[in-house]
Amino acid sequence: MKFATILLAIAIAFSATAASATSLSVDLRPAAENPTAPQMGDHLSFHSVIGNEGDTPINALVAWISLVQIDKGKEQPVDLEDWSAHKAVTTTSVPPHGTIQSDWPMRLIQAGHYRVVVSAVSRDGTRLVASPFVDFTVRQKPVVESQRVLPVALGIPMLIGVGMLWRRRRH
Amino acid sequence: MLIEIVGLRLALGGNPILHDVHLSLHEGEIYGLLGPNGAGKSTTIAAALGLLQPDAGQVRVLGKDPSVSAHEIYGALGVLPEQNGFYDWMSAEEYLAFFAALHGRHPGPSEMQQLAAAVGLAPRPRQAIGTYSLGMRQRLGLARALIAEPTVLVLDEPTNGLDPRGRREIHDILLGLAGRGVGILLCTHLLDDVDRLCRRVGIIVEGRTVTEGAIADLVRNEHRQVRFRLRLAGEPPSELAKDGHVSVVAHEGDWWIVDLDPAATPEAAWRELMFRGWPIAEIARESGGLEDLYLALTERRRHDRNFPDRPQGIR
Amino acid sequence: MTATSLIARKESGELLLSLRGLAWLMAVAVSLSLFGLLLVSNTELSLLDNAQVVYDMVGIVTALGGLLSLVVGIDAVAGERERGSLVPLLLTPVSRDAILAGKLGGVAIAWAVMYVLALPYLWAVGSTGQNLIQGMLVLAVVGSPVVLGFGFFGMILGSRLTSARAGLFTGLITLIASASPLLLGPSLRQSAIGRAFDAVNPFSAAVNAYDAVIIDSQTIASQWPHIAVAAVWIGLLLWLARSAFRRIAR
Repeated sequence: MKFATILLAIAIAFSATAASATSLSVDLRPAAENPTAPQMGDHLSFHSVIGNEGDTPINALVAWISLVQIDKGKEQPVDLEDWSAHKAVTTTSVPPHGTIQSDWPMRLIQAGHYRVVVSAVSRDGTRLVASPFVDFTVRQKPVVESQRVLPVALGIPMLIGVGMLWRRRRH
Repeated sequence: MLIEIVGLRLALGGNPILHDVHLSLHEGEIYGLLGPNGAGKSTTIAAALGLLQPDAGQVRVLGKDPSVSAHEIYGALGVLPEQNGFYDWMSAEEYLAFFAALHGRHPGPSEMQQLAAAVGLAPRPRQAIGTYSLGMRQRLGLARALIAEPTVLVLDEPTNGLDPRGRREIHDILLGLAGRGVGILLCTHLLDDVDRLCRRVGIIVEGRTVTEGAIADLVRNEHRQVRFRLRLAGEPPSELAKDGHVSVVAHEGDWWIVDLDPAATPEAAWRELMFRGWPIAEIARESGGLEDLYLALTERRRHDRNFPDRPQGIR
Repeated sequence: MTATSLIARKESGELLLSLRGLAWLMAVAVSLSLFGLLLVSNTELSLLDNAQVVYDMVGIVTALGGLLSLVVGIDAVAGERERGSLVPLLLTPVSRDAILAGKLGGVAIAWAVMYVLALPYLWAVGSTGQNLIQGMLVLAVVGSPVVLGFGFFGMILGSRLTSARAGLFTGLITLIASASPLLLGPSLRQSAIGRAFDAVNPFSAAVNAYDAVIIDSQTIASQWPHIAVAAVWIGLLLWLARSAFRRIAR
């Protein structure tokens, strides 16, 4: 009898978590106003919708954004520290059939091909739920242009050199 | 009195440099400050200029204590220091205008040219001082010292680096200034300069004034006969061993070696000899006078421990 | 024109019209040029690197400015003394304070010249990045007192030490020690001794202010603790310079 009670409890618990996991959905899309060919320094925004498709509330939900560089040979996760101050959302409860909408702004720091994804977990959940990927490419913007640096780097010493020659002639 | 130093004692970094220095400069006088290297001449001048604070004794310049009223004194003071540096990138005109402005004066171009010409300096308007020869720099330093029309001039080796003609020109300038009442403290190693310019001298040895007074008096007191070499155009009227203030020591062809009585001035003695019929064609100093006095006093100080501390000629 | 402004103008002439001063400016310009050319060769810099470049350039300008001010400060006293041009100046009827003020003015003009010289370099390496104008401003507000302080320090050394060479050596050691935040990694600066050194070191104050304004986009006004350290530094050195200059004998 006691053994049957334990088996029943495990079954109920398993069915409850499985239900909460599968009832959570995450959708991610780029904002409509995003530039079509962004370059370094531009701002992009992504819109996520986290929905509870189940009949029970989802408690203590955490969702966060991840960025991965997918350039060939440079595949690596990107530290968002310098890209965005908005890295995660939390909520105490998502009601049945309710949704939470979030915007994820970021400033494009470095050129390359990137993939962004929003992931979510709840306290009672057992699986990570991830959004579809959104890929984007950041064009290189020259930050130190030789066209500007060279004239200055060569011109100013030359200017002083001319001054020295003029003074030397006087001496 | 323009400068008065009495019993000056001064130490630098705990090392006593001056023990007992006396000096007095009057209006219209050129005073020669003499002494061997390291005797304390420059330190004495620095104290007189208020750059160094005396430990004891009294220093008065224009009646004021230079360590207290330095800037009042500096307005009436012209100085040519021993180490005489310039702003080499300036022209002489710019340089003199700069120092004139610091003295609150704004001389016009003609006044500036007059000053430059007075010291024998004819600056090209755009020529940088860095291109100047040692002699030209010395003249420029003198022009700077004169820019404020000073009452007192302190000159450290003013004829350094000058050729004989240049020296003579500077001598004439200094004599002219003294004639107009400017008191000049002349610090030099060139005894010829002192002989020609100064009536009174002070000799410092090892931080003490060992003698001060009129050159003629000091030479006479020390019984330093001055020996001259005279070339005669013919025979003297007599072969006397002593004629007036002159004693004949030797006779070598046309040249006669004579000692001059310390009490006599050379000019008066030669005049007297020529009056008596000596056909003097050339005169050259052989030894004696200030040079002998200087050598004797500085040498004596070095060797004689019992040399009197109290300077001669000072009462 | 007052005696102070006359002397300040003369001092600036030493920098801008003498071969010696122009050679110093040339050395500074060549150093900045080398740094700029080094950056041109790196084509894969991120935006963050760009802010870092402005930060680095501002730091280098401060270090070179400190060096130039130090040399100008030492030369204004010990150099002039060795060339024999100091005593004639001291013997003019101008107070020591006025002469000192003129010479300090010369140091300020030297820094102003160097600041103007550095602006094209900052523009060249940082105009596409972030916080360039703020970088220029924080250099003026926090960097200037630090740089001028080194000039005043040079004048103290020039007044107290007998030779310009000894002054230069002592000054360089101090400048290198003070500018060590540019050389040391953040980890070393986080130690107890590093933090204590940072708290009193004017160069650290400047570097920390640059970091906050250029990299972290904070306001210059929020950097008042660093500005206060720089102000105390320059005030202290001004007082010491005045005391040392009054004691110059020859």
